[in-house]
Amino acid sequence: METLKYIIKRILQTIPLLIMVSLISFFIIRLSPVDPLAELKLNPSISPVTVEKERQRLGLDKPIIVQYGKWAYSFVRGDLGVTSTGEKVSQKLKERIPNTLLLTSIVILLTWLVGVPLGIIAAVHWKTPFDRILTVLTSIGMAIPSFFFAVLLLLFAVKTGWFPIGGLTSPNFADMNFFHKFLDIAYHLVLPVFVLFTISLAGLQRQMRANMLDVLDSDYVKFARAKGLPEFMVIYKHALRNAINPMITLLGFEFAGLLSGAALTEYVFQYPGLGRLILEAVLKSDINLVMASLMMGAVMLVLGNLIADILLIITDPRIRVKS
Amino acid sequence: MMIKEVLTQLWKDKFARASLIVLGIIYLALFLADFIAPYTKDFSDRTMAYVPPSKVFTIDENGKLSRPYTYNYIREFDEDNLSITYKFDRSKKHYIRFFAKGQPYKFLGLIPSRIHLFTTDKDGRIFLLGTDINGRDVFSRLLFGGRISMTIGFLALFVLFPIGLLYGGISGYFGGKVDMVMMRFAEAVMSIPSFYLLIILASILPSGMTSTQRFLLIVIILALIGWAGFARVVRGMVLSIKNQEYVQAAQSIGASRLRIIVKHILPQTTSFVIVAMTLSIPSYILSESGLSFLGLGIQQPDASWGNMLKEAQEFTNILYRPWLLTPGFLIFVSVLAFNLIGDTIRDVLDPKSKVR
Amino acid sequence: MTRRGFRVLWIILIVAILCKGCLVKDEPQTSQPKKATTNNSINMAYPTPKNITLDGVDYLQSQAPIGNFGGALIASTIGEGPKTFNPFNCKDNISAQLTGVMYDGLLTSDPITGQPIPKLAKSFSISNNGKDYLIKLRKGIKWTDGKPITADDVVFTWNDIIFAGLGDTSTRDSIVIDGQLPTVRKIDNYTVVFSTPKPFAPFIRMLSTPIAPKHIFMPATKKGAEYFDSFLSTNTPPKDFVTSGAFKLKEYVPAQRVVFERNPNYYEINKKDQKLPYLDKLIYLIVGDLNNEVLKFEAKELDVITLQGSKVERYKSLEPHSDFKLYNLGPTTGTMYLSMNLNNRKNDKGQFYVDPIKQKWFQDLNFRKAVDYAIDRKSMVFNIANGIGAPLFTAESLNSIYLNKKLKPYDKDINKSKELLKKSGFYTDKKGRLFDKYGHRVEFNLYTNAGNTEREAIGVMVKQDLEDLGMKVNFKPIEFNSLVNKLVSTFDWDMVIMGLTGSPLEPNGGKNVWLSDGRLHMFNQRTPQDGKQGILPWEKELDEMFTKGALATKFEDRKKYYDRYQEIAYNEKPFIYIYSPVIIVAIRNKFKNIYPSSLSGLTHNIEEIYIGD
Repeated sequence: METLKYIIKRILQTIPLLIMVSLISFFIIRLSPVDPLAELKLNPSISPVTVEKERQRLGLDKPIIVQYGKWAYSFVRGDLGVTSTGEKVSQKLKERIPNTLLLTSIVILLTWLVGVPLGIIAAVHWKTPFDRILTVLTSIGMAIPSFFFAVLLLLFAVKTGWFPIGGLTSPNFADMNFFHKFLDIAYHLVLPVFVLFTISLAGLQRQMRANMLDVLDSDYVKFARAKGLPEFMVIYKHALRNAINPMITLLGFEFAGLLSGAALTEYVFQYPGLGRLILEAVLKSDINLVMASLMMGAVMLVLGNLIADILLIITDPRIRVKS
Repeated sequence: MMIKEVLTQLWKDKFARASLIVLGIIYLALFLADFIAPYTKDFSDRTMAYVPPSKVFTIDENGKLSRPYTYNYIREFDEDNLSITYKFDRSKKHYIRFFAKGQPYKFLGLIPSRIHLFTTDKDGRIFLLGTDINGRDVFSRLLFGGRISMTIGFLALFVLFPIGLLYGGISGYFGGKVDMVMMRFAEAVMSIPSFYLLIILASILPSGMTSTQRFLLIVIILALIGWAGFARVVRGMVLSIKNQEYVQAAQSIGASRLRIIVKHILPQTTSFVIVAMTLSIPSYILSESGLSFLGLGIQQPDASWGNMLKEAQEFTNILYRPWLLTPGFLIFVSVLAFNLIGDTIRDVLDPKSKVR
Repeated sequence: MTRRGFRVLWIILIVAILCKGCLVKDEPQTSQPKKATTNNSINMAYPTPKNITLDGVDYLQSQAPIGNFGGALIASTIGEGPKTFNPFNCKDNISAQLTGVMYDGLLTSDPITGQPIPKLAKSFSISNNGKDYLIKLRKGIKWTDGKPITADDVVFTWNDIIFAGLGDTSTRDSIVIDGQLPTVRKIDNYTVVFSTPKPFAPFIRMLSTPIAPKHIFMPATKKGAEYFDSFLSTNTPPKDFVTSGAFKLKEYVPAQRVVFERNPNYYEINKKDQKLPYLDKLIYLIVGDLNNEVLKFEAKELDVITLQGSKVERYKSLEPHSDFKLYNLGPTTGTMYLSMNLNNRKNDKGQFYVDPIKQKWFQDLNFRKAVDYAIDRKSMVFNIANGIGAPLFTAESLNSIYLNKKLKPYDKDINKSKELLKKSGFYTDKKGRLFDKYGHRVEFNLYTNAGNTEREAIGVMVKQDLEDLGMKVNFKPIEFNSLVNKLVSTFDWDMVIMGLTGSPLEPNGGKNVWLSDGRLHMFNQRTPQDGKQGILPWEKELDEMFTKGALATKFEDRKKYYDRYQEIAYNEKPFIYIYSPVIIVAIRNKFKNIYPSSLSGLTHNIEEIYIGD
């Protein structure tokens, strides 16, 4: 019961947060001096009447507060407006968000599968050359500019012919059976996942290492060791559980970092994700689209945090008491 | 005392020492850029677009040792292959001259001079790393571009840290409603994926700014992205520090709140701040290069490593003009060096740090 | 060995390597003999399809060699992909290109001569007074759903969609003649007549507008303009499309690709009377940028690609031992130019749009000519287009059928520039800085859109060229949208590098640019309130040329007017044209029946293209 109450409270807390996010984003975008109709205006074959029609449709002739009100009202009703070229924003997001979620969740899964054990190993071997080399190796991954790495990998793919050049599916995807479809997507995901994995591994590994060091230093681990339990048992039974719990809270922020990192990677790999969408929208100053993708990014992030929190409450009863 | 200890530890660690040396060399080169670079950043010879790195010869065609010299390139358009070929102009040797007079410049924008580390005669061209599309010397532009790329992160940190410290300090110290509102605002900022926010802010920069204005605004934008997360951690630390005895003692003698925050509480966070700073420089260098790569950051004709890399994105350039990739490797090397140093500092000061 | 010993060894080794690196021997290379390469000349005569009637059906019969059925061609589009599949609602090139695959128009243009030829129509004729267009339709041809294509569809398309102003109104806007629209009448099921209020030559080109199936579009047009804008959007299921083109929509995957499959009801047959197209599928990959496109071609994910600059060099050298062939399609249809702001009016706050000091320079023909002569087009072609392009001096693109060939190119001549400046009282001081006769330093801003590597590189070169004359040029690449805003709304710019697309067949499309009250009359933009205020004599003449050119009917008559307009542009330099890149297209060898055309590209006869053995 307590848990449920806390969860509900936690969900309610996200509402003012989202309102604040939307206010910040909306005003930043509307501060911009650029004209969303510029591309239409420069097209010789489009008449001033058409341009004027577009202006009214986008509500650009109204004061900014009215525009925000209009926008917020329709957002709540699930209507995200239309892009500067007349497509439904909600449709565009619906196409892109699953792809981005797919990419990021695979990367998160992989970094956890690799980063957590590496973090533990580094902590156990603290201050040995082994620890140092691990840190250096992960640092190398973190130091390559993601876009540069992606460009080089694409070149590698061209030269060897081992991997497809960007995208998510092959041209004959529709004609494949389920199993082949699965393989096809996996095949296309290898390179972008590899880039994001390399750049985000270091952070997680360090975090795990720090948590583990923290726990290994605590009284109950000392006590367990004093009891004469084998070191293996101490680490995996007692220390690990306590070191992983705080990591769960980080899931949300890891997700945020990935969304950001993914934008450039998606751009270079031509991956049909949210990052590429927002980049294109920003370059064209497509207000509705930028606003909506920004909000979606924020919503996904807030939800990620929320889920992480709820997970934590379920796994770690101590937090429940504290709250 | 603490700084000395940190430095000793850094020097002891093999990787950190190597990193310190590498960064030292890079920053020294950037500081002396005007002198080391044979050309100014805007110098361009249009008849020399995309020429490969100059070859420097020390043994002449007769097999005799000679003073180092180079040849200019001549370009020709090959109608049959639709390609441009580069050949040495063997009619004239251009000897390399050290500490000789070349293009005039103002050292660090102040001291006028014409002496360059190395240069060649008036008609000769020495392009150690080839040229770009406009026939500008890549080596010289790397040095000038590095000045921007390698300082932008530091500047952003100097803007961001005072804001974050003060914000976190006030929020943590005052607590209650103030804390609530301030933290909700910080969380809202953090909830916007940072790169999205970055490109949006960069794309709304007004046009027609001078390059200095643009540079400063990008610094401010970078700072705007990072302060919230930092402020949150500071606030957490302040919460635990503010109940310590000496803070309460300061309160009891009636010190003003701001004074308590700035004089008594924030200094306690120093080691955290240092660790956080070194570890976040790389991400600012990478952010700048990403922005410029997209064409939203530093713009032509100014150079930065990010916008120089833009040309390297092109497939044919990577294949035929690999010298255009050098900014990428420099970013990699310097970011790696910063990471390694940051790791070591963290291990020394704060081994269980939550800072990534 | 001690540690120290190791260290010394290391140092010796490093020094040795350094010394070795310093010793570079100068060995003259013997120049290699030039390889003679074959040049694929593109002037293969295209056998234009003919009409043939079989079993009461008016087919179009391909005259090209007979090929095999099956296979797919994978092409690409740059950008974000189509915005809509409604052919009457396309505001962007990609949507227009893709709906062009799905829907045929009554007429099309001959890929070689550019003259209008029948497509969905069986034949057409223009009355002697130049006002009536009699169109005969093919009998017995069908939409993809099996319903016949008749005069009702044509009349509906024009009356209820185009004239009614639904969707994108650009077609409608361009055929308003003296405030009146043409009319369309059904004579019988397979005959319609279009009438224009006055003879209006550009109208014939408008007849290539797609024709809509009435039974599908009718319900949508009744629901009004707003509904029509979202009708047949990119989320409409492919099976809901009823089309007439050689290929029909099979699948659209956002941001990835558009897949078309062959239309079994298509009305073109080969010489064996088999129904075309040969290919089973036509796939357009949606690629974000040119670079990704090249990578995909390199990795054989693409079959055809348009190449520019240094990419040509690579594929030219690979061509002899690879599976593709290059075709030179000649210069692009777009133009790239440098322009100065001739505006001398004030905004509604009473301030000049352009600083009056600068106005004097820009409005001075000698100044404009001096800039023109100072520009080094040849180096630009060399450096930026990698030698693959041609300097441009005319307002019509080099492949335009209206190109005025009397206007001669010339080389950079800095002395002539200096002379011209001197004539207008400009002078330089000892430091080489240029001042006008009132003693003002000549300094202005040069804009272009940031992110376009080509234009940025041109900008850098223009800046250098003009600084050789002593001018101070502040080169500012700014974001595209902000730039357009400056050009068409706020007018606060001095000099700009821009590009415009054009048609090689119909100069009338440029009227928005050249008419003194045109919406894109950038060099001297007037607001609607300005009207024709402050019109210059040569602007007046341009207005006259464009009005007369549109109303004349014979090609020879029209050519005279359009020749004159190009001559005015050449003499008065409102736009200083820079260069035209040459388009080179590569396509895999396995595709046969390739008849490249500089006007319509490489795959204009997509239904005839097949995969050889």
